Amino acid sequence: MPTPLIARRTFLQNSVLGMGALALAALQRNGEGAPATPGLIQTPHVPPRAKRIIFLCMAGGPSHLETFDWKPELRRLDGEPFPESFTKGQQLAQLQGIPLKARGPFCDFAKHGQSGMEISALFPHLAKHADDLCVIRSMQTEQINHDTAHAFLNTGSILKGRPSLGSWLLYGLGSESENLPGFVVLTSTGKTGVQPISARQWSSGILPGQFQGIPLQNKGQAVHYLDNPAGVSPRLQRRILDDVRALNAENARRSRDPEAEVRIAQYEMAFKMQSSVPELTDLRSEPQSVLDAYGIREPGGFASNCLLARRLAQRGVRMIQLYHRGWDHHGGLEDGMKAAAQETDQATAALLHDLKQSGLLEDTLVVWGGEFGRTPMGQGSGRDHHILGFSLFLAGGGIRGGMTYGATDELGYRAVENPVHVHDLQATLLHLFGIDHLRLTTKFQGLDIRLTGVSHPKILTPLFA
Amino acid sequence: MNPASICLLLVSSASLAFSEEPPLRFNRDIRPILSEHCFACHGFDRHKRDSGLRLDQREEALKPARSGDRAIVPGHQELSTLVERILSSDPEEVMPPPKAHKPLKPEHKERLRRWITQGAPYEPHWAYTPLPKNPPELDPNNAIDHFIDAALKAKSMHPGAPAPANVLLRRLSLDLTGLPPSPDDLRSADTDPGLQESTERLLHSPRFGERWATWWLDAVRFADTVGFHGDQNQRIFPYRDYVIDAFNQNLPFDRFTLEQIAGDLLPEPTPTQRVASGFNRLSMMTREGGIQPKEYLAKYMSDRVRAVGSAWLGATIGCAECHDHKFDPITQKDFYALGAFFADIQQYALYHGVFLPNPDLKGWTDHHPFPPEIEVESPYRQRRLQRFTAELHQIAHTARLAHPEFADWSKATREFLRSQPGGWVFPHSVAESTQFKSQPDGSLALDTNAGSSLKFALRIPSSPIAALRIELLPSPEHQNRILRSGDPDAMHLLPSVRVRKADGTLSDPLAFRRGHASHADPTYFQGEHQPDISKGWKPAARHSAEPQSAAWCFQKPVCIADGDRLEVTIAEKRFAPARVRFSVSPLALWDPCTLPQADAAPEDPILWLGSTGADAVALARLLEAEQQMLECRNGKAFSLVSKSVEPAPVRVLPRGNWQDESGPLVLPATPGFLPPLDAAPEHLSRLELARWLTSKQNPVTPRAVMNRLWKQLFGTGLSAVLDDLGAQGEPPSHPELLDWLAAEFRDSGWDFRHMVRLMVRSNAYRRNAAPGSDQDPANRFLATQSPRRLEAEFVRDNALAIAGILDPEIGGPSVHVYFPESLYRDMEFPKRVFEPVADERQWRRGLYMHWQRTFLHPMLASFDAPNRDESACLRTQANTPQQALTLLNDPTFLEAARGFAQRLLQTASTDSDRIQAGFLTALCRPPTSTELERILNLLGAARSEYLAHEEDARALLKTGHLPAPDQVPAPEIAAWTTVCRVLLNLHETITRY
Repeated sequence: MPTPLIARRTFLQNSVLGMGALALAALQRNGEGAPATPGLIQTPHVPPRAKRIIFLCMAGGPSHLETFDWKPELRRLDGEPFPESFTKGQQLAQLQGIPLKARGPFCDFAKHGQSGMEISALFPHLAKHADDLCVIRSMQTEQINHDTAHAFLNTGSILKGRPSLGSWLLYGLGSESENLPGFVVLTSTGKTGVQPISARQWSSGILPGQFQGIPLQNKGQAVHYLDNPAGVSPRLQRRILDDVRALNAENARRSRDPEAEVRIAQYEMAFKMQSSVPELTDLRSEPQSVLDAYGIREPGGFASNCLLARRLAQRGVRMIQLYHRGWDHHGGLEDGMKAAAQETDQATAALLHDLKQSGLLEDTLVVWGGEFGRTPMGQGSGRDHHILGFSLFLAGGGIRGGMTYGATDELGYRAVENPVHVHDLQATLLHLFGIDHLRLTTKFQGLDIRLTGVSHPKILTPLFA
Repeated sequence: MNPASICLLLVSSASLAFSEEPPLRFNRDIRPILSEHCFACHGFDRHKRDSGLRLDQREEALKPARSGDRAIVPGHQELSTLVERILSSDPEEVMPPPKAHKPLKPEHKERLRRWITQGAPYEPHWAYTPLPKNPPELDPNNAIDHFIDAALKAKSMHPGAPAPANVLLRRLSLDLTGLPPSPDDLRSADTDPGLQESTERLLHSPRFGERWATWWLDAVRFADTVGFHGDQNQRIFPYRDYVIDAFNQNLPFDRFTLEQIAGDLLPEPTPTQRVASGFNRLSMMTREGGIQPKEYLAKYMSDRVRAVGSAWLGATIGCAECHDHKFDPITQKDFYALGAFFADIQQYALYHGVFLPNPDLKGWTDHHPFPPEIEVESPYRQRRLQRFTAELHQIAHTARLAHPEFADWSKATREFLRSQPGGWVFPHSVAESTQFKSQPDGSLALDTNAGSSLKFALRIPSSPIAALRIELLPSPEHQNRILRSGDPDAMHLLPSVRVRKADGTLSDPLAFRRGHASHADPTYFQGEHQPDISKGWKPAARHSAEPQSAAWCFQKPVCIADGDRLEVTIAEKRFAPARVRFSVSPLALWDPCTLPQADAAPEDPILWLGSTGADAVALARLLEAEQQMLECRNGKAFSLVSKSVEPAPVRVLPRGNWQDESGPLVLPATPGFLPPLDAAPEHLSRLELARWLTSKQNPVTPRAVMNRLWKQLFGTGLSAVLDDLGAQGEPPSHPELLDWLAAEFRDSGWDFRHMVRLMVRSNAYRRNAAPGSDQDPANRFLATQSPRRLEAEFVRDNALAIAGILDPEIGGPSVHVYFPESLYRDMEFPKRVFEPVADERQWRRGLYMHWQRTFLHPMLASFDAPNRDESACLRTQANTPQQALTLLNDPTFLEAARGFAQRLLQTASTDSDRIQAGFLTALCRPPTSTELERILNLLGAARSEYLAHEEDARALLKTGHLPAPDQVPAPEIAAWTTVCRVLLNLHETITRY
């Protein structure tokens, strides 16, 4: 249990008004870094560089060819038949049985920062952070459809019931946020290229339910069933909680049922969330300049989710995962990419800026990327799913800025230099948290299940600062 | 020393040795160590057997390795390299190697050493050994206690005291039906010594089937949606009805097995048996464009193998998809040979007719179902249909009695039908248009370039109009077809009807009440076919050479005055018949084919009410009842079934890679590590697979099922790892008991209820619940019962039953209970339009909750229900703040608290009496004096608060749609609701002790 029961009981005896001050005290305590709920790993396997992660999932699969992987040769071939030497025998998604033609990138690239990193013109804000970014241009995955590719990226497996990265981190390292869930998920929807996303992606699977990701809603209640019911005053709700606690305590004494004690603690945590979540989601405490920097126009969009991500990071939440559903551009690539870039570019940059300013970037790992990339071959006015080469970037949390790692071939088809498999990325992320991916396991059906499956991935040490 | 004394000495030293060093049991003491630390590299997988050493079989383990070393020399630890290697401190030498991160504990090393000294005896793995009934003479009624008491005695432990009757009754009731005892049940227990009668009543309650179906549905991965990507609805609830019914009828488990796996292959299968075969269809499916068909067909097959392995065998067969099993004797070939049993099941890789051309699914997109399906009778819908039919007649009849003008209408109608025997009237004329030309027969010949939006202005006699009919007529100028030739997807036609007044003003479109057609192809919405054409008519493609007609009646009849026109707009780009003809009727007719009878129709109060709208209140109720009737879909329902077709060839896929077709072809075969089926035919089918699973020779199925059953009644399985009876699982705490139970299950004719009865009548079951002792912290020796938090569905059922609002209906479609408005927002293809039901179905049991695989209802998810992507035989149990928030603030539980409050307000008189009744209802016990005092204080505080803020009380009463009694003031109901919220939130309420 997080804190000694005595402390929690004292806490509960405080009035509702006292609650805010105490919650604040708890927040400040969290800054000191002692886990509120300890995890499995008492001593880090390797020196940790990151404490929390903000995973900006660009759901649908952004084109690497219009973001971070500049391919002049592909532009030259635009409209020509795509060389069969590349594609023979390879998987295709919706392009199955269709003549393959090269599609050149529609936007220009320029070099940015001291590092001279090539970033497409669609991301002017992000380009200013070139020297903070570590772009991997040689990502590869095994799954060519959205549902399974997300599962693979999050859980390292397409088998159902495997825990996602956030759940693994909570299970391994515990939670540092005493009155917020340790794994929070926010979703937003773009203009085009919208694909569904399943709650399976933040499921704790075979790990116990306390490690699951908690979605933060932007409509209705922020967390399901968080708000007091209509017609119930805070005072009366508090009174109900007090009586539930008292009767549960009597039951615990009588039955000696240890679960009754746990139940008492969980009701207290629920009550704390009732004040900590509204405090978290209330953006009125942010100055207008900050809202403008993120480009927040509406609640629940990617921009406000980015600001919430920063606020969650400040409150010690271990894993913050954002999904922006708007990158599946089978058709209308040009308008779609422009829209999606506009929806995400400024806020992502503002988030990086904010984290850097406050020093949080030091131990906060930021990941930006989708479940796969897009074909250098055209599909009507768009691009199809592509798994043999795509781009993704990391920043902060012990990552070297201003570097690119790996490369695809001249047409952006296949990763040819330092290919990075999804399992490599996962093992590296765990490593940055001080975890040897081989040693973070849970027993299920006789197997030691781990995030990286049964593979032997490599740790991407050149990426480390 | 004489020989006799030597003999004595030997005996005594042997017994001395025994007391010092009890012989190790391989299955209990050694196999778990070897399996966890050694088998991964020295075990069953022949492709990964380092140094040629194999430790899972004694004969192999004793052979010299390639190096000449002998791992195990029985009785000689000094010659056994195994001992040397596990004791080594050299990182290059020590086993297991450090990189495996599986170091042996000192006590395990010692145990292995001792075992070799004792001669390294092996035992076959416990779960796979034959299952004799042992001892055969044991009285089944005492058998469980016989084994448990013996084990307690051996540990010098004492069985705990029996539970008091009220505790035991609550336990029995929750365990056997998933519902708490009613206060009446509790009272009758006083005259039921030993609760014998109560036990029998519960064993035969129809709730028994619902309770055990809830358990079984996890194992078979039952869900309302397909799981992948868009996660669309599938039609499968009749399968759930089948499972409920099977438990209520106590269908022998071997029959139950056979029908689910191969019901469709039985000779002349009944509809029920075909529905049962829907089990095979519960694997996840996809409608995502761009999938690789072969990949998904491989996924569907392997899911079926895993499901059978999990639900029947308690085996982790899935491990053998890519390689021979590491820990159990399951080969990769076994996996695919099992898969081959399912190769005959008709299965589409992609349920989309546009992304992947498929003649069977031409034009199919987001809203379509997932065939093959069959349509069967649904007793639930039939009961409901009957109920609403009666209600409909009642409403119309009552309204007629209150309206004497019915007689005038009756007379006028009789006259009208005499002059217009069909009931339909053609318009005087239709305003000229460039889009069509009027024909002598009243039809309109459309111009081929008329465009996709056609407007017809009908001049009709001044009168009330209650219905519109459209006839599509074939004509030579369109090859005598009413549809565009060669387009089976045809049109989807929904006319918009307005009244254009003589002064030019235009009414809103008239809402349709219902409509039917002479011929129609089904149209779908979220996986279900529309019960009528009020949302659109799709003329039948197969009958496109015939005239087709459709009629719609309006929700309210409309009056047409002189000079008014009825404007009919048809906006449908595929609307291309050659000729169309309109007619209208003053009667609320919705069927273009059945003519109203001149003698019966004028006496029909339903027709009167719909045609005149004479009683607006009655008409609104009539429409509601009618809508309910339509949704009963004639008392029938579709259900996914297995349909056998020519089997697709099945190959072993090297490393599970569906793109690698180099592996050998396999035929259906049962796994080699278990005895084959006697007298099996040469070519095996799913019938043989099912018979093999429950054959006399198969020891695994009854062990797995009885072990899972035990957990439901005792809190932990006899082997705690329910989903893996293999080497990596846990050897049973009472192996002889598990074997006896398994054998009894088999030999009783697979009598499930009998086994439940034996368990709940045992003394072990009936003990007081208490935590484990120092000697037995996890309470595995069962000196006491173990408390058990209710499963998600029963947390709900319990609250609704306590509240007295549980819907008693059994079976039928899943329902949407209250859910957070944002729950399904991240779903696509299609965007979901779900509404919580607003009648008594809202209070259906948890097993009828809509089971959305990608977004499980948060109440279910928070209380650890699996989303059923896969067969799941072991629910984990967490204790989280989300559970607290759910019980505190989920409208279902608030409404239950109010229902409970209203129930208490009805039943007793004083505050104390009511609190007493509340505790008895929720917890089956009276409150303690401190509890009573506390609750009385709370009641007082809540009362004053709600009296001071009556608007709060009214707001609280608005949660849910349960009516509040008028005669009780709102603050009083709100105050008691507050009390009941406390009772429903107690840990004790959601725990069975």
